[in-house]
Amino acid sequence: MRKTMRKAGSEVLALIICLGASCWLLWAAVGCELNDPDRDVRRFFPESTGYKTMYASVKQQGGEPRLARIQIRLGDTFKGLYETIDTPYSMYQILRGTEIIGYIHGVNQKGQYGGIQVFLALDRQGLIRHFYFQKVTNRSAKLLRDPAFAAQFVGLSLQDFDQYDVNAGSAKPGSRVAAIRNPAPDAEFDFRAALRATKKNLILCDIFLLGDIPGK
Amino acid sequence: MAAREILLKANHVRKVFRRGSEEIAAIDDISFTCRRGEFVSFVGPSGSGKTTLINILGCLDNPSRGTVSVGGMTVFNDTTRLSEGELTRIRRCYFGYIFQKFYLVPTLTVMENVLLPLSFYRKEGAAADALPLLNFLGLGQRIHHRPAELSGGEMQRVAIARALINKPEIVLADEPTGNLDTQRSREIGQILRHLNRQEGVTVLLVTHNPLLAAVAQRTIILRDGRIVT
Amino acid sequence: MTKPLSIYRIAFKNLQRKKARSTLTLIGIGLSAWVLTSLFGFNQGYETALNKDIDNMGFQVLLTAKGCPYEAATLMLKGGTGLRYMPESVISDVVRYPGIEKVTPMLMQAVFDPNKGESGGISAYLGVDPASYPQLKAFLSFEQGSWFTDPLGYQAVMGYEAAELEQREIGDKILIPEKNIEFTVVGVLKRSGTQDDGTIFIPIRTLQKEFGQQGKVTALGIKVSKTANIIELENKLYDLPDVQVVSMAQVRETIMSLVSTAKVMVISIALIAILIAILGVINTILMSVFERFQEIGILKSMGAMPADVFRMVWTETVILCLLGGMLGVGLAFGLAKITDFLIRRLLPYAPTGSLVQVNLPLALLILVIVLGIGLISGLYPAWWAARVRPLESIRSEGD
Repeated sequence: MRKTMRKAGSEVLALIICLGASCWLLWAAVGCELNDPDRDVRRFFPESTGYKTMYASVKQQGGEPRLARIQIRLGDTFKGLYETIDTPYSMYQILRGTEIIGYIHGVNQKGQYGGIQVFLALDRQGLIRHFYFQKVTNRSAKLLRDPAFAAQFVGLSLQDFDQYDVNAGSAKPGSRVAAIRNPAPDAEFDFRAALRATKKNLILCDIFLLGDIPGK
Repeated sequence: MAAREILLKANHVRKVFRRGSEEIAAIDDISFTCRRGEFVSFVGPSGSGKTTLINILGCLDNPSRGTVSVGGMTVFNDTTRLSEGELTRIRRCYFGYIFQKFYLVPTLTVMENVLLPLSFYRKEGAAADALPLLNFLGLGQRIHHRPAELSGGEMQRVAIARALINKPEIVLADEPTGNLDTQRSREIGQILRHLNRQEGVTVLLVTHNPLLAAVAQRTIILRDGRIVT
Repeated sequence: MTKPLSIYRIAFKNLQRKKARSTLTLIGIGLSAWVLTSLFGFNQGYETALNKDIDNMGFQVLLTAKGCPYEAATLMLKGGTGLRYMPESVISDVVRYPGIEKVTPMLMQAVFDPNKGESGGISAYLGVDPASYPQLKAFLSFEQGSWFTDPLGYQAVMGYEAAELEQREIGDKILIPEKNIEFTVVGVLKRSGTQDDGTIFIPIRTLQKEFGQQGKVTALGIKVSKTANIIELENKLYDLPDVQVVSMAQVRETIMSLVSTAKVMVISIALIAILIAILGVINTILMSVFERFQEIGILKSMGAMPADVFRMVWTETVILCLLGGMLGVGLAFGLAKITDFLIRRLLPYAPTGSLVQVNLPLALLILVIVLGIGLISGLYPAWWAARVRPLESIRSEGD
């Protein structure tokens, strides 16, 4: 009897190992999506009534020529195993009734100790309403996730980031991007990663959502 | 002239049908002999038993009583009842049938319809080629047509060709012109006469048509299941 | 031109008389054959995929710490703290048993990462022995790098999806929150379609040291030699105190029995579909035989034996069923992917890999079954037609 009970019990455990293990080890799936879009959309756009989720990749939307233009605007190439032409991106179109009132978009970026997920909430003109670290792995993560840090991004647009050099980590003196302070000096890598992620995010939004204006 | 052999013989044949509790004798004590090469017509009013008789002579039905022999071989007597398979063997050896309704297969062409019996049985000496037969019957230009494209007269001629393909000893024709007009009926009569006179085929004919009956050498009148003359 | 038709050609032409009716019956048989093929294909595919998943675990038997399995599972799902442990000495107990080929210890530890998402999340790490674990999982291949070799080192190997989430490549660092320890990534695995994709592997000794779990393991993976009797071995292992034996063979059986309920339901539906198809075929052929009542009588009068008529009608049924069967098998081949997708949505657990395996032997089996259906369905109509007496059909002309 005891043996049968143990057998039954071990089966259940094994089942749960099989079924459950992978589920909670992973956090977000491939691509960068909001973990709780209902909550986050309400948070960033309290006046919204709903949202629409769209998916796109650079490969689908213009292919190699598109990628080349993105890289020129970014001032850097797509690097590594995970930043590729067919990486899927999720975009959220925020609605009030039938009117589009803004967008939310997130990108993955390589951080010092793990993946960084940077989400931007933009208005119709492409100005940042909110900056949000959905994920960051760093000893000073608390400082980076402080609202004060995010507040530095509010009101900025792609135009502000055009002059930001993602490789050198330098902005045009006197520009609004140059004014962004790193609250955690030992997290310089992640700070610069966040800025690169922001610039890339704004470029992708410009292309996928706001209408690609040539020469911009 | 030497007497030709007896091909068909019926002795005191009686056929009774049961309708509910009633028994009706369609044929009552008929005896009949037919020699090779004869052309016999059976006439009489409706219900006189002529079709019943010809069915029994043609081994399509068992009599209730009496003896029937075909080619000297006893087919029916009071103690013998042949199975469907045995009857089929006798039928396909001796008989060719022509009916009032033509019963052609609608999805087969004229040629295929005529050759159909050969799919089941090929008698020794049977026609290797149906074309001469069809030409004789005036159907040489219609061999690839389907029954739906033929007139009534043409369809009956196809049925005749089909009945003849296996070189039967005896042709049984039951009201072959029942569905045809006068002109076509006359043509059928001429064909039957040619088969009998020229080819030596024994013909048993049932008909309402006196002109057609007159083509025969011998006419038997039936009434109420008995031979009158 | 003057060759008579064979009975088979006659049968085929007979089917063309009422094209709509024949077509509809054909479609009915085709759909039944499709269902049957997909069902058998699913049966094959699911079992193969499941076996592959389980075989990919590398070990046939798993030993875990004794305790209420539900409690352990809940703890695992909600958070790694409070996991039950086994003493490492269990290894020396286990290797004594005959039939044990390899043993590898594993330690699962988890920490809470407050910076994962809005309210934080769990990060889990699997401590493995670099000497034995890679050998048990020899089929795992690397996108970059290879296994760590130093049992006391601070290196990590990541499953592809875990690495992608963290945007890690070899040479990059990972940080264990709470413990504040850094590891260097030395290998990124290729996707295997198993839970390894989401796992971060670390040397077990290092994990034990950093988490204060020296001498403890959460599981022992056992590979049984090919000649050993697994059931007998499992029974012996049950006798070990404080351990729970998890048999992958039993997991397979349990999952299969979960699925078998669904399969029984589907088989019942398939059998009903076959029955309906049979009835449809009988109906079609019987109707066509009734319609040709007089014609069959005439065939008999022109020399067709009862066996000839039987063969002709039976052939019509067989032709109909074979054509329908080919249609169904063709549909199954063509729509295998869609069927796979539909089934995946319905099942509670679907292993990776193709769920619906449709191949040539299966196609031939289905055609044989459909042929059998045809032969059975055709018996009554063919027998009925063979029994027709010519006179019965001619008698309707009147006297």
